[in-house]
Amino acid sequence: MFPQFGATAESLTKASTAVLRIGTDAHLYDDPEDVNIAPLLDSKFDSEKCEALKRLLALIAQGFDVSNFFPQVVKNVASQSLEVKKLVYLYLLHYAEKRPNEALLSINCFQKDLGDTNPLVRAWALRAMAGIRLHVIAPLVIVAVQKCARDPSVYVRKCAANALPKLHDLRMEEHASAIEEIVGLLLNDHSPGVVGAAASAFTSVCPNNFSLIGRNYKRLCEILPDVEEWGQIILIGILLRYVIARLGLVKESIMFSLFNKDIENLEEDESYITSNEEAGYAIDNNVSELGNMIFQCYIEGPDEYLSRSSSTNRVAPKLDVSQFTSCSNEVVKILLQCTSPLLWSNNSAVVLAAAGVHWIMASKEHVKRIVKPLLFVLRSSSASRYVVLCNIQVFAKAMPSLFAPHYQDFFICSSDSYQIKALKLDILSSIVTDSSISFIYKEFQDYIRDPDRRFAADTVAAIGLCAQRLPKMATSCLEGLLTLVGQEFFCGEIRSLDGEEGVLVQAIISIKSIIKLEPPSYEKVIIQLVRSLDKIKVPAARAMIIWMLGEYCSLGEIIPRMLSTVLKYLAWSFTSEALEAKLQILNTTAKVLLCIKGEDILTMRKIWSYVIELAECDLKYDIRDRARFLKKLLSSNLESQHGEEENSESQKRDQSYILAECILGGQTKAVTVQSEPIDFRFYLPGSLSQLVFHAAPGYEPLPKPCSLPYTDLDQYDGATKSDSDEEDPGTSGSLDEESASNYSSEQSITGSGNASDSDESVSGNEGEDNAKPLIQISDTSNVCDTGFRDLMSTKSLESWLDEPTRSSKGSEIKQSQIRSSSARITIGNIGSRVKPKCYTLLDPANGNGLRVNYSFSSETSSISSHLVCLEVLFENCSLEPMFDIVLIDEDYSKSSDSTNQTSPTTENTLKFHVDKPALISMEEIPSLEPGQTAKRTLLVRFHHHLLPLKLALFCNDKKFPVKLRPDIGYFVKPLPISIEDFRDKESRLPGMFEYVRSCTFTDHILELNKGSNSLTEDKFLVICETIALKMLSNANLSLVSVDMPVAANLDDASGLCLRFSSEILSNSMPCLITVTVEGKCSDPLIVSVKVNCEETVFGLNLLNRVVNFLVEPSVTQL
Amino acid sequence: MLEKQLSGHRVDRSICAWFWDKAISQPDSFKQQPVIASPTHYLFQVLREGITFLACTQVEMPPLMAIEFLCRVADVLNDYLGGLNEDLIKDNFVIVYELLDEMIDNGFPLTTELNILQEMIAPPNIVSKVLSVVTGSSSNVSDSLPGATASLVPWRTADPKYANNEIYVDLVEEMDATINRDGVLVKCEINGEVQVNSHITGLPDLTLSFKNPSILDDVRFHPCVRYRPWESDQILSFVPPDGQFKLMSYRVRKLKNTPIYVKPQLTSEGGTCRLSVLVGIRNDPGKTIDSVTVEFQLPSCILSADLTSNHGVVNILGNKTCSWSIGRIPKDKAPSMSGTLVLETGLERLHVFPTFQVGFRIMGVALSGLQIDKLDLKTVPYRFYKGFRALTRAGEFEVRS
Repeated sequence: MFPQFGATAESLTKASTAVLRIGTDAHLYDDPEDVNIAPLLDSKFDSEKCEALKRLLALIAQGFDVSNFFPQVVKNVASQSLEVKKLVYLYLLHYAEKRPNEALLSINCFQKDLGDTNPLVRAWALRAMAGIRLHVIAPLVIVAVQKCARDPSVYVRKCAANALPKLHDLRMEEHASAIEEIVGLLLNDHSPGVVGAAASAFTSVCPNNFSLIGRNYKRLCEILPDVEEWGQIILIGILLRYVIARLGLVKESIMFSLFNKDIENLEEDESYITSNEEAGYAIDNNVSELGNMIFQCYIEGPDEYLSRSSSTNRVAPKLDVSQFTSCSNEVVKILLQCTSPLLWSNNSAVVLAAAGVHWIMASKEHVKRIVKPLLFVLRSSSASRYVVLCNIQVFAKAMPSLFAPHYQDFFICSSDSYQIKALKLDILSSIVTDSSISFIYKEFQDYIRDPDRRFAADTVAAIGLCAQRLPKMATSCLEGLLTLVGQEFFCGEIRSLDGEEGVLVQAIISIKSIIKLEPPSYEKVIIQLVRSLDKIKVPAARAMIIWMLGEYCSLGEIIPRMLSTVLKYLAWSFTSEALEAKLQILNTTAKVLLCIKGEDILTMRKIWSYVIELAECDLKYDIRDRARFLKKLLSSNLESQHGEEENSESQKRDQSYILAECILGGQTKAVTVQSEPIDFRFYLPGSLSQLVFHAAPGYEPLPKPCSLPYTDLDQYDGATKSDSDEEDPGTSGSLDEESASNYSSEQSITGSGNASDSDESVSGNEGEDNAKPLIQISDTSNVCDTGFRDLMSTKSLESWLDEPTRSSKGSEIKQSQIRSSSARITIGNIGSRVKPKCYTLLDPANGNGLRVNYSFSSETSSISSHLVCLEVLFENCSLEPMFDIVLIDEDYSKSSDSTNQTSPTTENTLKFHVDKPALISMEEIPSLEPGQTAKRTLLVRFHHHLLPLKLALFCNDKKFPVKLRPDIGYFVKPLPISIEDFRDKESRLPGMFEYVRSCTFTDHILELNKGSNSLTEDKFLVICETIALKMLSNANLSLVSVDMPVAANLDDASGLCLRFSSEILSNSMPCLITVTVEGKCSDPLIVSVKVNCEETVFGLNLLNRVVNFLVEPSVTQL
Repeated sequence: MLEKQLSGHRVDRSICAWFWDKAISQPDSFKQQPVIASPTHYLFQVLREGITFLACTQVEMPPLMAIEFLCRVADVLNDYLGGLNEDLIKDNFVIVYELLDEMIDNGFPLTTELNILQEMIAPPNIVSKVLSVVTGSSSNVSDSLPGATASLVPWRTADPKYANNEIYVDLVEEMDATINRDGVLVKCEINGEVQVNSHITGLPDLTLSFKNPSILDDVRFHPCVRYRPWESDQILSFVPPDGQFKLMSYRVRKLKNTPIYVKPQLTSEGGTCRLSVLVGIRNDPGKTIDSVTVEFQLPSCILSADLTSNHGVVNILGNKTCSWSIGRIPKDKAPSMSGTLVLETGLERLHVFPTFQVGFRIMGVALSGLQIDKLDLKTVPYRFYKGFRALTRAGEFEVRS
């Protein structure tokens, strides 16, 4: 692949290592294809399989595509040998995305492995399963992660945390809450290793869900030193963001003082002075301004900040005092306390992250703490040295006094790379102080003699910067630079030394910038430079000296006197000059001409016309242009001087004279202290963006101070209390046991089909472990419907007894109708209540006034079991009539061949029925008058119960692409069975066919409030009704039974249990749903939903759908 | 150079090709850049013994984390393979793959502790090699999860057993010094490490204290060290990993003396340059100083060099690196090297001056003066053997001329 590097493996060493290579995998790597791999994969022996897999890996490593072996490899996933497993996983993950259908074959194996007793197997299975990254299996993975998140093994829990970002990557909105829930659970883990991984999951899944952090804040801080190093890095960042979002900036921090300087000018200035005196350093306004900007950038993000500052002239947003907190605040204190030992970490990334927290949060006195650790990190690998230096550079610019005493650490070693040297120079020049300048200057002098000339040139530039910063030192710096210039021209002629030119030019630039500070006092310097003109040959350097001559031509006494001689010399050498020097000669001559007085004027004019003449016939058009321009500009001036006294008052000439003055003489005014060219973009310390100077994708500035609502705050306070209550008794031991016991019950469910039934009730009622008086009739299994009716209140009993007498519409959905009719008795308006949810297919805004809504109907198709019935309502909202409205499936022909290759061996988890059209053609609507509506029943064959179906709607001969979203709740049809049948079926679907999720349910509260005046109404009944209604109006189910607890406490709804049954349309497999309620009647209830279904994927998706619609508050009831 | 592990979002292999294109077209600057922003990805590179470790990302992440992780991978591979070179990696590519898979999961480091990794994936050794030749099969993947992953000391092998319990503590110090043109000591500091090699049965809880901890300027600890005791009493309290590890590193700044002196002198006139370097003992540390070397890079403007010494061997390598290995400094005379350098034609005098890197080693002395007070073992009742050693060598010891 890279022959040039292949060649580096020298043949000599090869021979000598040949002996050592015996017994390694070398031969497999060198000729991976010397045997036929396929039969080896099918071999009975693990060792042969291993060999084959190793060969495949070798091929992958060398960049070959060996995905054609996929089916054979996948078969081996069932192998018992761990090595084979590991290798298969490696292969599988490499190709899974390419071969999704075959990858699905392995899912069952993973499911089985998840129940293995060996935690390593469980962890690997989870990792591989999550790593496959297919949408279809995502629900399965979520369940697996949910189980593994409660695994007794730390390693497995850690892997579960790591699997979450993988799930999140698939971008499934419907599972987002479930994933976040698991993140919260894992953040709460008692093992530091898990917390670290959970922190990483948090940042990628829900970085702004601070309530998860708030709940555990204190514990997270305390556990921080024990978290493994990688987790520490992430966790520190999270905690920092949380504190900023919740409490805002810290009053004592440098960030605040710089940030808030304008507001509390007086106070802050005083403290500045004191701190300056301590450090013996003068912070000029520039520096604090810079610091201010840096911190603004941290909070707003540089792009936002820069755009704002340019438009509104840097008016900082008014800051509320309430946005600030103080160091003594408990929350801040803990964070600082817990991060400070991390400054001793062996891992430089941890040190930098901890330093970042202190930099932003700690008070000015405490920030010093980060200096030494940061400097110590400089001793680690050169790559990390570079990163740390980049960050120190920013710190040093914002607060030079911090690093000023440690200037020695930035002295350069010859082993440093060029980038590091440049960074160190930059830092040195920004932290230089009066006391350290002499040492630093001495160092710089050494650096100038370094063989790396590029570095020497940078050093010269740094000297210039130092001199500008500390005017006291300017003279001595200038002297040094002059001697350097004096030296350099010795070798100016040697072409091979390209670097020298750079050094020389840089030296002159530095001199120029120093002179700019105070031109009058450096007159002699200019003279000296001009004198050396005949020795200096580098065009750029010459050009600059010539420029200086023109710029300061009227300075002092000596320069004006030597002007004519110098200009004569320049005119004489004009033809041999390089482009830039020629241009400068022209400019300078013009400038001199403008300001010169006295007797020289005639010579000047001669020189001028001579130079102009030469320039006008120059080869380069730049020079010709410049010459013409200047000639024109100055012509009036020259004439006026020619004509001595006559007509000298002419207005026009005067104007052009002023113009010439402005253009040529204007530059002198721009003498201000220029700060060094800094990149004005700052990013959070330790971020990638700071290194590359642009916001990398995913970069987020600190959250807005105090952006966290106060409700979370209360939550936090409450949580800390309960935390401390809980923590003391059972930090390690008891929690472990608890999770272990949880696990064992679940494991038996996952593990095998013959797990005992008794476990189920445990898993169903997992949460309710305390001994509230609860009689669950359903558990006593002999009690039938009539039995529990006796136990109900008379009022509700009536309603229950009433139900069979109600007539129902269709015989096949009898029971569900019965259920809803019973609801009618109590509430009285059935029509509005069992109305299935309506979805929009086409908005009138998009469809030229045609509104199309659809709802799933509870009827089932008589044509084919794969068809789902829909009621589509067309409404003309426009003012014109519409014609020929029809819905058709366009993709049918296209899609049929692409997915049809699903091999027959594919498990029943996925069946695509794309060989048939997705839509049984709809009856066309010939015309639709304005305001008129038309209703059609549609029979649709969805390809998959989650993926939307793309259809085309034609109207007035125009095509509107529309998407029909399937509702999994209508992929089933009611299965009227008795409670005994239900139990029987349920017991045959244990273990991996059973999935539980819980959620909160709030609908009934509204209902209870509504009926609060009628005290007679039974609260249980209302809850039953609301749940049943919700279920039935969102999915095509039949209600089997309702179990009610007989509780001493009438307000406690725990134990209420509703059972629904249905069968899947396509294959008539039963699908059982059990809803168990927990909590108080008047509060939001915790509802745990259990689905038993043989088709795992379907069952899971159905479960998620049920949970989703239970959670979402119903609007229709209002 | 071909090894790669893809996890997380798919990254096309072509990014490597891009990297090598760049690396070849601009060999110097590119290879030194640890963080590179390529058109499509951000790359992190760490170069170790000719092997380039690359990591790439498309989104924001702490860059040091990537770099530290790459360094860790390099360390682990080094430990596993007994070195790092192309052939070793090729020969053990399966192990490399397995290790990478275990060390990182979805872009987040998973298990990076060497002790645990070794339990999960057996390092290749002679026995397993022979075994695989004889039987044709051997598994290097462990069947069970190391117990340590669950324990509170995740860095330690669960329950090692040793017939002889022993622990060795080495103070290894490196002296960084810079001597400027005028022969003034600009900077002199010690960067030291406390390296421990522990073979102790069970779960020992050790405390290590120094006689003079106040001289330490700054410290960094292995994760096993507890922060509290150090904060309060400057005592190292820790449960060690098994085998060799770096317990802490420390820094002692502002030392006043170096054990040896190196005095280079360059005078040039008329196109040639006379060089002489003198080396001698300045402060006798009490132990012999050996492996003394002086190395420097001849400036590019020097055409040829003729150098001889009165002690040791002088070598001038192809890339104009000159190395003078002195070995042990003799008692009776001061070693010196002298000779002439011929400058490029047209060049009268030397205007750039080389920096001399000095190497030396002193056994048995920690030049910082740090002394170990005592090492105590709690929790485990039986006796064990304690060994202490010290070593100082030159780090970035530079003499400018």
